[in-house]
Amino acid sequence: MSLQTSFLCISLLLPCVQVQAAINVFTCEPEWAALAKELGGDQLDIYSATTALQDPHHIQARPSLIAKARKADLLICAGAELETGWLPLLMRKAGNARIRAGQAGHFLAAEHIDMLEVPEKLDRSLGDVHASGNPHVHTDPRNISRIAGQLYKRLVGIDPDNTDIYSKRYSIFEREWQDAINVWNNQAAAVNGVNVVVHHDYWSYLIDWLGLVKVATLEPVPGVAPSTGHLSQIKQLLNTQPATMIIDTSYMNDRPVQWLSKQTGIPVVALPATVDYQGGESLYDWFKHIVDLITGQVE
Amino acid sequence: MNLEGLDISILAPAFVAGLIVLMTHIPLGYEVLRRGIIFIDIAVAQIAGLGVIIAYTLGWDEHGIEAQIAAVTSALIGVWILNKLESRHGKHLEALIGTSFILAATGGILLLANNPHGGEHLKELLVGQILWVEWEQLLYAAIISIIVLSIWVQLREKIGSLGFYMLFAVAITVSVQLVGVYLVFASLIVPALAAIGQAKKSGLSLSIIIGTCGYASGLVLSALLDLPSGAVIVWMIAISALLIKIAMPLKTW
Repeated sequence: MSLQTSFLCISLLLPCVQVQAAINVFTCEPEWAALAKELGGDQLDIYSATTALQDPHHIQARPSLIAKARKADLLICAGAELETGWLPLLMRKAGNARIRAGQAGHFLAAEHIDMLEVPEKLDRSLGDVHASGNPHVHTDPRNISRIAGQLYKRLVGIDPDNTDIYSKRYSIFEREWQDAINVWNNQAAAVNGVNVVVHHDYWSYLIDWLGLVKVATLEPVPGVAPSTGHLSQIKQLLNTQPATMIIDTSYMNDRPVQWLSKQTGIPVVALPATVDYQGGESLYDWFKHIVDLITGQVE
Repeated sequence: MNLEGLDISILAPAFVAGLIVLMTHIPLGYEVLRRGIIFIDIAVAQIAGLGVIIAYTLGWDEHGIEAQIAAVTSALIGVWILNKLESRHGKHLEALIGTSFILAATGGILLLANNPHGGEHLKELLVGQILWVEWEQLLYAAIISIIVLSIWVQLREKIGSLGFYMLFAVAITVSVQLVGVYLVFASLIVPALAAIGQAKKSGLSLSIIIGTCGYASGLVLSALLDLPSGAVIVWMIAISALLIKIAMPLKTW
């Protein structure tokens, strides 16, 4: 059986349950799937490689992943080397020219915003992953707005026939998003200048947005579990610079934060890492949830 | 059910990788069982990994041929030491293998204590995932495996214990990078275990059938159920062995 015939057989087996959408979108993380949904609606057939409960640094290879990357017209990922452990391998296996770097179908969110924590010098001892800065750019709604503007342009470039639909959806999203940011800004005014401890430098953009003050990070270097010495140093530090909350990320092991919380009496706030897109959550729901959780710590 | 992943061009390289691994691991697995050194593959894989980490901390390029040389060299040094230990402390060999495994694993952690992402990156280099394999990579693996297999089949009486360990180190270093530690263990131990008590020829065909069925059904199932391929194949190798043993009682082959 030739390759074409086997393709034909498989496609004949597929009943017409899903109407073929115009544009296939492959996202590395669910937040970009949620954003694409806002801008493209039913024009897009969206697939997210990871869920909100997965660490996007790591991924187990499944056949469907390669199949989805193969037929994608547009790939949306965070970039900044967040997916460096698997995306290059996946791209090679997919061999899809439309989503190759430099093509219109290759969209990296981190390329469209001002990055935080860009190392001043590239040192091998810092590891080779986050040389272009902190990749968790989706934790600031102002970044979402900037990225939405760029993604809208990209969608129009790929699918010009539906420009009207994308324009309409984008202007509605942008207007509502700015309103939401204003509401959150007012709600979170109370946490401006509040000291926090974080587990992993996952929330740097959120901290920047809300004007929180990060006094310590539990991980000495991103990805390394804190040593006992490092934890007691932080405990010492917190005596002189008391913090209001310890911010944890939902997909991480919570033992170090629970230890510190017990030692210091500072409450832990476990923030969901991203939008539960597969569970039907929207970007708005997720940000509202996060702002509620953080402001809930300050009465 | 997910029919999308059921694409021959996605599954074929992975299946061929499985066959290449089985080619050396079934015969070497018999010897591993005979010697009672079940966990040696995991220890050797870890020692090869430690070699790459040492090379990396010395500033070598972690890609390409340098890393491969470091991996094979340290695996060979590791098995040379294990072979020495076997002749002196044969009774406690399994305990020594286990100890060398944890020393190699924690040695890597200590060397990379301040370099988490380097470590992550190296782990992915060393522990392959079967779906990511490419034809070019398979060509090298096939050539090395054919050489290992022919030396083992033709010269096993002459090369002695050290010879076996050397061949084993090379075979494991190659296969771990293709399919990962779990599949290496499964390919080495399960088909050989199922052949215990069979005549030599029928045992070998039984092992080959179990291994081949395991990889084929595991890949198809992982596509249909949208699950990670490596883990599904491990289970299907074990299930194939079990079903075949139940269907074909001892010595009816």
